[in-house]
Amino acid sequence: MTLLEFASGPGLQWALWIFVFGITWRVVGAVFLLSRKDISKPRHTNTISAGLGAVWSRSSPARAFEKKIRFQHVTGYAWHFALFISVLFFAPHILFFESVLGFSWPHLPNTIILITAIVATAVLIALLIRRATHPVQRFISNADDYISIFVVLVPLVTGILAFTHFGARYETLLAVHLLSVEVMLIWFPFGKLMHMIMTIPARFQAGTAFGRRGVKA
Amino acid sequence: MNTEAMSLQDFRGKLREMSVDTPGRDLTDEDRVRRAKKAFAQKLNGHRAVDMDTCLQCGMCAEACHFYEATQDERYAPVYKFRPLRRFYRREMSPMRWFYRAFTRDITVADLKEWQHLVYDACTGCGRCDMICPMGIKISAAIRVMRHGLAGAGFVPSEMRIIRDEQRDKNTLFGVGAEQLRALVERLGAQGINVPLDREQADVMLLTTAIEVLLFPDAFAATAKILNKAGANWTIRSDAFEAANVGIITGDDPTMILAIKRIVEKASAIGAKTVLMPESGHAYQTLRWEGANEMGEPLSFDVISIPEFVAAEIKAGRLNLKTQTNGASVTYHDPCRLSRKGGVTQQPRDVLTAMGLEVRETASNRRENYCCGGGCGEFVLKSAADLRQKAFEIKKHEIDETGADAVVTGCSNCRVNLMIGADNSGWRTPVTSLVETVAANLAD
Repeated sequence: MTLLEFASGPGLQWALWIFVFGITWRVVGAVFLLSRKDISKPRHTNTISAGLGAVWSRSSPARAFEKKIRFQHVTGYAWHFALFISVLFFAPHILFFESVLGFSWPHLPNTIILITAIVATAVLIALLIRRATHPVQRFISNADDYISIFVVLVPLVTGILAFTHFGARYETLLAVHLLSVEVMLIWFPFGKLMHMIMTIPARFQAGTAFGRRGVKA
Repeated sequence: MNTEAMSLQDFRGKLREMSVDTPGRDLTDEDRVRRAKKAFAQKLNGHRAVDMDTCLQCGMCAEACHFYEATQDERYAPVYKFRPLRRFYRREMSPMRWFYRAFTRDITVADLKEWQHLVYDACTGCGRCDMICPMGIKISAAIRVMRHGLAGAGFVPSEMRIIRDEQRDKNTLFGVGAEQLRALVERLGAQGINVPLDREQADVMLLTTAIEVLLFPDAFAATAKILNKAGANWTIRSDAFEAANVGIITGDDPTMILAIKRIVEKASAIGAKTVLMPESGHAYQTLRWEGANEMGEPLSFDVISIPEFVAAEIKAGRLNLKTQTNGASVTYHDPCRLSRKGGVTQQPRDVLTAMGLEVRETASNRRENYCCGGGCGEFVLKSAADLRQKAFEIKKHEIDETGADAVVTGCSNCRVNLMIGADNSGWRTPVTSLVETVAANLAD
């Protein structure tokens, strides 16, 4: 079995199993720590709408905070936007998703994907530098913070190298890219990449809690 | 009104006299850690678990914290203030604990000692950090769990412990009990202000605080005048008048529940339909939002803050106010537990504008308002004096920028902290209460 055969075969399969099972385990485990029902008389009863409101409103900072967190706000959007374009609209990626999901969608030209992948990589490196140098971020950071950046950064870099056929044989670069993605999938449920799954429930619960008190979260 | 208030200087002297060396519980280090963990485990529910699992450690919360802003000390980043709780969650309760345990250090008594400063001195539980978090994490709720853990471990600061024990054991605060309330009621009676004390039946049961009785009796008198003017069927009970709750401040559940129970039982016994909260943010938050949950059943009465009551009475036409025409301007300081934690933001502004006052907003207002710097009992802590003053300076700067003639607030704790800050820095802007402003403008 070649490296590429392993990476695109059992390696990918195991990584996906750990990814799916790990996420389910962690979400179900947290949810099973049930919370008591709040029985104080609500000021507003439409808490579902307040919860959904918070899912939306927390996508941008309140005016009082905007200036202070502008760098993180702007880079956060740039990073996620560039990443999703690169992952979801690259023709070979869509072929892979089609093989798993059974349906596909239109792809973007390779030049655009290359640009978005470079932007995503650059922004992530900027965020890594900030984490290592900003007094608060450096102080509060732990291994998870750095591991989670590296396991996403490596697939981006290896993806760009494979796309440009730079540095080694294409098959080798592709195998390394696939393996790096698998490492990311395996790490996902253990670290803070889980925020991709938890963000909406966390925002929603904040919205409902504030909403029943008549406060817009 | 002349109601013989204690001077601010005398009150500050009283605070200074409080010992910082009162012995706490005699516990071994192992006991302290065990008790802290027990409290963490009791308070870590599904909501907090989602919070612990979602935190990105982005550090944005630091930018919302007045203590970080004032000092640039990274230890004051709110995310760091609940670090031991997160470690406990990861090691002992997370679905991934079998994995995290190998990489996560256990909490120690040295941690608990260190975090005493971070969660009592350097956090007023104002919840401004809750408003900046892009994940919607209730950071202040997690820090409150830290206070529970530290209280369980016997790490409540000495001054807070003294007033907590006083409330629990004597049903008094700062020496104010039934006798002091009766004396105040008599003085007011002599001035023609009727306070129906200890009625057996009433629709509205008013509460007050020791701070009001001692420092701001005019606010109490003003509330009585408003209630009388509105024709309310009301009383205040000498055996259950204290709205402040040192249990919730310290993180001590038994004291918190006892203080809530005293009020709930008395209000039910006299058939009150409404319990009217005085100008005290944390007292309102405690009874309004925690009362039913701590009692385990819905309350048999409504809990209403005084700004809500006044606004509703004006709207209903039962309370008429004189309209000022001298172009006076005020800024309103939102007490955190009334505004972002209580939903009472528009009512006080409606009341102020009903009196013809121009309300000038601070740059951060309503749910993003800066804390006065001394909430959640912080104003009694000597060890927090410098931090408190630095946080106050932020507030002061925002108020000065409005150019308003005075600052009005709806919380006597905020008021006393703003006055202490002003006293320290020679700040001249008058700090007054909403209820006193209303009483001074009651129409005939």
